[in-house]
Amino acid sequence: MGIYGKPLGRRDFLRGSLAAAALAATGSLAACATSGTGTSTSSSSAPAGQVSDTNPFGVESGSTVDAVIFNGGYGIDYAEFAGKQVQSKQQGVTVKVTPTTKVAQTLQPRFVAGDPPDVIDNSGADAIGINSIRDQLVELNDVIEAKNFEGKVIKDTLYEGVTKPGTFDGKFILLNYALTVYALWYSASLFEKNGWKVPKTYDEMLALGAEAKGKGKYLLGWGKEAATYYQTMAIASAIKEGGDEVRLALENLKPDCWSLPPVQDVFNGLKKIIDAGYVKPGGSGTQFTAAQAQWTDADEFILYPSGGWIENEMKKQTKSDFKMTGAPEPTVSSNAKMPWEALHSTAGEPYIVPSQGKNVAGGKEFLRAMLSQEAAVNFAKTKLASTIVKGTVPPDGFGSTALQSQIKLLEAAGSNIFSWNFVDLYGMNTDQLVVWNSFLAGDSDVAKLTKGLQGITDKVANDDSIKKVQVS
Amino acid sequence: MTTLASGGVTSGVSAPPGGLRRIGSARWRRRNLTFDKISFFLVFLVIPVAFYIGFVVSPFVQAAYFSLTDWTGFTPAMNFIGLSNYAKLFTDSTFLQAMGNNILMAFVVPIVTLGLAMFFATLVTVGGSTRGNIKGLRNSSFYRVISFFPYVIPAIVIGLIWSQIYDPSAGLLNGILTRLGLEQFTSFAWLGDPRTARWAVMFVIIWGLVGFYMVLFIAAIKGVPAEVFEAARIDGAGRFRTAVSITIPLIRENVQTAFIYIGILALDAFVYMAALEPGGGPDNTTLVMAQQLFTTAFSKGQFGYACAMGVVLAIITLAYAGLVFAVNRIFGGKSEVAE
Repeated sequence: MGIYGKPLGRRDFLRGSLAAAALAATGSLAACATSGTGTSTSSSSAPAGQVSDTNPFGVESGSTVDAVIFNGGYGIDYAEFAGKQVQSKQQGVTVKVTPTTKVAQTLQPRFVAGDPPDVIDNSGADAIGINSIRDQLVELNDVIEAKNFEGKVIKDTLYEGVTKPGTFDGKFILLNYALTVYALWYSASLFEKNGWKVPKTYDEMLALGAEAKGKGKYLLGWGKEAATYYQTMAIASAIKEGGDEVRLALENLKPDCWSLPPVQDVFNGLKKIIDAGYVKPGGSGTQFTAAQAQWTDADEFILYPSGGWIENEMKKQTKSDFKMTGAPEPTVSSNAKMPWEALHSTAGEPYIVPSQGKNVAGGKEFLRAMLSQEAAVNFAKTKLASTIVKGTVPPDGFGSTALQSQIKLLEAAGSNIFSWNFVDLYGMNTDQLVVWNSFLAGDSDVAKLTKGLQGITDKVANDDSIKKVQVS
Repeated sequence: MTTLASGGVTSGVSAPPGGLRRIGSARWRRRNLTFDKISFFLVFLVIPVAFYIGFVVSPFVQAAYFSLTDWTGFTPAMNFIGLSNYAKLFTDSTFLQAMGNNILMAFVVPIVTLGLAMFFATLVTVGGSTRGNIKGLRNSSFYRVISFFPYVIPAIVIGLIWSQIYDPSAGLLNGILTRLGLEQFTSFAWLGDPRTARWAVMFVIIWGLVGFYMVLFIAAIKGVPAEVFEAARIDGAGRFRTAVSITIPLIRENVQTAFIYIGILALDAFVYMAALEPGGGPDNTTLVMAQQLFTTAFSKGQFGYACAMGVVLAIITLAYAGLVFAVNRIFGGKSEVAE
């Protein structure tokens, strides 16, 4: 190395910058490349095996069913259970269950190559955006019209409306397996001890906040990755208040849908609670399970909006005698369009059967096994969550207060059950988290929140390259 | 490079006529085609180039092509849509914000990290006692090992450790600050406040990298003959003057390399962000292009658009490298005049 810098040679410049680009771009740019656009191998849609009542889809004997299952909160043992059922019911059929935590990344090349698995549990943070593979899935109507292993038509054994969230433009392509009830969760033992009542409106929530403050507790809390749980609660409250009109405006990405009066009333109700200082500060910098433990373990706040998975998720960090119980999400006023008991419930763990799979009939048979009484009871018992199959949870909820209350909530709601898809369908959650984190932290106001959410919605609505689903 | 050189020699020698020359050229040809040479070319040139083309160049070209399509990522089919992905990109406020964040990081992180690394490296190598031989501070080898520790930890682990330290309620940082009586930091969300989030993540990156660049600079400074420093000292230069006028000019090329490496890291920063701010941070103040690319591709199913982001990121990286070379050239030009 000389003491004086040499002038920069042109060749050195090129060499250096090329190397630099190579290094930088291999990480991100090359990630976009495919392994080659394979030709699509079209599978014969005609069943190869004998169709009968015990083999309604005509699974070929000796064939293999390739199942790729998201390995998340529910694990994969319940799917392996169903796989064993298929193997015992259908002579010579082998079921291969493969776990994955990154569904989109694992299966993207297989979809491009025209060689997707026969059945997929498309769930988790890295699930495939359903909009991008909608055209490549088979309709699953024949699955629920078939008879289950016990001889009953499957459709009649399911909860009301569970196929709705899996239906896009009139096509039922997503079989959501686990029933999810969204609620406002609390510790029944804590509420009993203090003589607190579950708030039915946002004003009651505010009043409860003052009481909790008196005991040195916050009313609500949140974690940075889960700030949109409050959006889920807000949308549910707004739909209860304003009815289907609100739901459809949001689902169809209407201009100014976030400015509808019921939505604004909910935001204002929340804002009052935030301004009163009843929300535990610091959530926007707290990992969400750590925040949830502040509720289930440390009793630092007393109410938490979430889905029914919360009990399983926090099992190890919930103190004994917590008695986690769910209540319907609050309404704004007492004369809401839907009763307070109305429930935001949908089904999660979306199972799909790609049309290009080698063994479409096998994929459907796998779903039929999952919907059998035996498999559904097994799921409820081991996961403490109900499937979409009715009557699999005994009154004691296998000893779980949360599961008991879910079933009670469903019964009380009757036919007043609703859900929506637009957030997941268009992949908006990541963007919405940002606005909600600042709103809950008290750094923004209702106007800013509304503007932010509307901006995210408009961006999708005005982008012609995104296929829209019309909801009615 | 090797092919060019040898090709030049062959043609240059065989072109002029004449008996001796012809014999010479034949000898050249024979020499050229020995098994040794062919196998050498094959192993050290043809195979690497084939690998490079197959696994580096062709994915680049492919990605650049995909950026001109509306590919969703899950079908073999795609439509050619020209430059409209790029048009969309430059009106996409989220992406532009991410780009701005990256560019800020590409300036702050290298300057702070390399400044600190240079400071420590100087202390450890030539910053010691001004009497006797040129040497570093006492126990310098101990500091050298300690400061290298963070670099031994994988980036993702660093991110996870610091996200715990920054935790508003149970984190070490707020624990210390509130213990010191600074009550305003009770439950303060370092990673959740738009005023602090980007500085907090940059601090983590800098913390993780200073040790490595310090060791790099130490190696470079050790390569400089001690007489140079002794001469400077005899001429009456203090520690600071020695660092600015002697050390930095002498290891300029190392500094340039370091700048490019760390700048590229700051333009990527995906791993750190995935651990510290997976959602892009408060008001997207820590969102980086690589994160936006990832969500666009995998959760929004817009691979074509994501590829356009990748191309822009690659171009920015090239421009950054070019800028570093240009800046170095400006300063390098001066010393050439002095020569």
